[in-house]
Amino acid sequence: MANTYWMPILLLWPLVAAAATFALRSVRRVLWFMAASVWALVPGAAALVMQVQGSGSVSAADGWLYADALTAFHVIVMLIVFVLSSTYAVGYFANDKSAALTVRKARRFAALWLTTSSAMMLVLFSNNLGIQWAGIEATTLVTAFLVCTHITPASLEAMWKYLIICSVGVALAFVGTLFFAAAMERAAVDGASTLLWTDVLSHAGELDPILLKTGFIFVVVGFGTKVGLAPLHSWLPDAHSQAPAPVSAIFSGFLLNTAMYCVMRYLAIVSANAALTLWAHELLITFGVLSMVVAAAFIVFQHDLKRLLAYSSIEHIGIIALGLGVGGLGQFAALFHVLNHSIAKMTAFFAAGRLGQQFGTNDMRRFARVLTTAPVWGGGLMASLLALIGVAPFALFMSELQLVRAAIAQGRVAAVVLFFAASTVVFIGALRLAIDAAWGGETAAPAGPPATALDKVLVAVPICVLLCLGLYLPEPVQALIAQASSIVGGAR
Amino acid sequence: MNVVAEFVLVVLVLTDLAVLATSRLTTCVRLVAVQGAVLGLLPLVLRWPTFDLPIGTLAVSALALKGIVFPWLLLRTMRLVEIRREAEPYIGYTLSMVVGVLLVAVSAYLSTQWLPVSAGNAERFFLVGALAMILTGMLVVVSRRKAISQVLGFLMLENGVYAFGVVFLRETSLLVELAILLDVFVAVLVMGVAVHRIQRGFEHIDVDQLSALKG
Repeated sequence: MANTYWMPILLLWPLVAAAATFALRSVRRVLWFMAASVWALVPGAAALVMQVQGSGSVSAADGWLYADALTAFHVIVMLIVFVLSSTYAVGYFANDKSAALTVRKARRFAALWLTTSSAMMLVLFSNNLGIQWAGIEATTLVTAFLVCTHITPASLEAMWKYLIICSVGVALAFVGTLFFAAAMERAAVDGASTLLWTDVLSHAGELDPILLKTGFIFVVVGFGTKVGLAPLHSWLPDAHSQAPAPVSAIFSGFLLNTAMYCVMRYLAIVSANAALTLWAHELLITFGVLSMVVAAAFIVFQHDLKRLLAYSSIEHIGIIALGLGVGGLGQFAALFHVLNHSIAKMTAFFAAGRLGQQFGTNDMRRFARVLTTAPVWGGGLMASLLALIGVAPFALFMSELQLVRAAIAQGRVAAVVLFFAASTVVFIGALRLAIDAAWGGETAAPAGPPATALDKVLVAVPICVLLCLGLYLPEPVQALIAQASSIVGGAR
Repeated sequence: MNVVAEFVLVVLVLTDLAVLATSRLTTCVRLVAVQGAVLGLLPLVLRWPTFDLPIGTLAVSALALKGIVFPWLLLRTMRLVEIRREAEPYIGYTLSMVVGVLLVAVSAYLSTQWLPVSAGNAERFFLVGALAMILTGMLVVVSRRKAISQVLGFLMLENGVYAFGVVFLRETSLLVELAILLDVFVAVLVMGVAVHRIQRGFEHIDVDQLSALKG
């Protein structure tokens, strides 16, 4: 295992930048500085990914920080989401006429935003399961105030629900971690006291199955609260709909994935213990299918665009959990779906945010002729909605297709039937609203501000990436996802 | 397992039950403070008469945070938002006492069902206590109306988790334990600020008024 300095640098840089924001004196400068600081993470992350590709895994700080293909894959997804969302935030707040940011608020926003990226990377890099847990709790605490950037009764309500429900849920996940630690201690193996993921994995076969089983239930329920798996999702639609659009984009695009990443790490441990693999898979399939069905039921009656997108996130998180539960190729499909969903959902929230500003509401029944009044954002919304409901040739269609094929090969008939039922309901429910917003509506639609070149890039790039990934999956990407999925499967 | 440890466990569970039956919030905070202080001493009591520096450090930090800092933060927030009593909880005081006792029974049942045979009776006894604390904490979070009470419930739950860790693990890393204490500290701080903000936004901190977002 090679050593690297990139992980500590990537963890510390956002914190330094967060402190530096307090020296800046205008809203615009603060936001641009925030975006530039996130851009500055890209070379470091690229170097880290390359090191991982070269030597399989790298570590730092005496093995307490660790990165392998699964980490590298998530770092890539995270930076795509963060870089684009930070850039988008500049234009979003510039157009936020109803509640303009003050310099103080902008500084706080930027500092919290940058700290969030650091906390998320701590979750990704931490090899110690306890520190990883602390990272997840830290993301909740840091992002809570991002939800109520604009203080309204509704945003305060959303913030409070998010804070309490996720804190309680994540506390349960810690109980799960303790069970894994107890299993290590009982087995009296090396590394019992440090609880590094790599040590736990290499001894997974010797650990007490009952303790692992109990621990895994706590982990799935606990982190599942943060992931947004039904029936633990109740905070999610509120927080996503009340937060400013850039925040919703990182919530759906990566916050949920951070918690799912933890579930994947524990799944790897449990899967490495042969007695438990099937049981763990069934647990995840149950949660996955349930989330899809619940989300579908709520999407049908939804008029608020951002809530619709939030429920769609629950559906897609369900699809990812289902893929993880199917195992083998299903796990490959699940990880591919993580990438696709994050890109598509982020773009959808970008468009939803700007259209919401234009119409002064998120109620889709009040939207009218978005394709003519705001061609860029309207087009972005339509394209990303089509991608999200699984229309070919977008990449989400491909990952869902792979997932269904894997599920059928595994004989998971009931899950496949429910998958199709839920997908169909979502397809019809979302398309009906989208068509009305695009072409219908008798009300005179207010014209939005003309789209800048930056706006066009922010819509075109993700949509093109989704199209390209749907038509052709480049060899290096495929290799990385394959490696990552074998790690989730418990390979050592 | 020594007599003192048994006594400590009984105190921990009884403070939880007492909180369930108390309407005056300052009393609730004091009860949780007592619980936190006792909990801070638990690692020392369990290892008596041996003593080592890491465990001592942990015990002192837990005692200081859970016994003094958290309660002080909560009392301060309560002063700022001018609140003293829990008004009409969703589940009445007597009923929640009954539910609390039932939860202790449930955790006794679960602990005997779950724990692998290798565990000794002493551990099992403690697991009952820790689980009961976790469950009562959750009960307070869901059954109380004031945001402050929910923070209190979260603290009770965290205390349960902490007890669980102390009893279950002989040698966890000090660094991890401290990181977790720090996390809870920040959580209480953030929740305090959040309560204050809700109060400024709504002129009250009744969680049941936070119900505009549905579906």
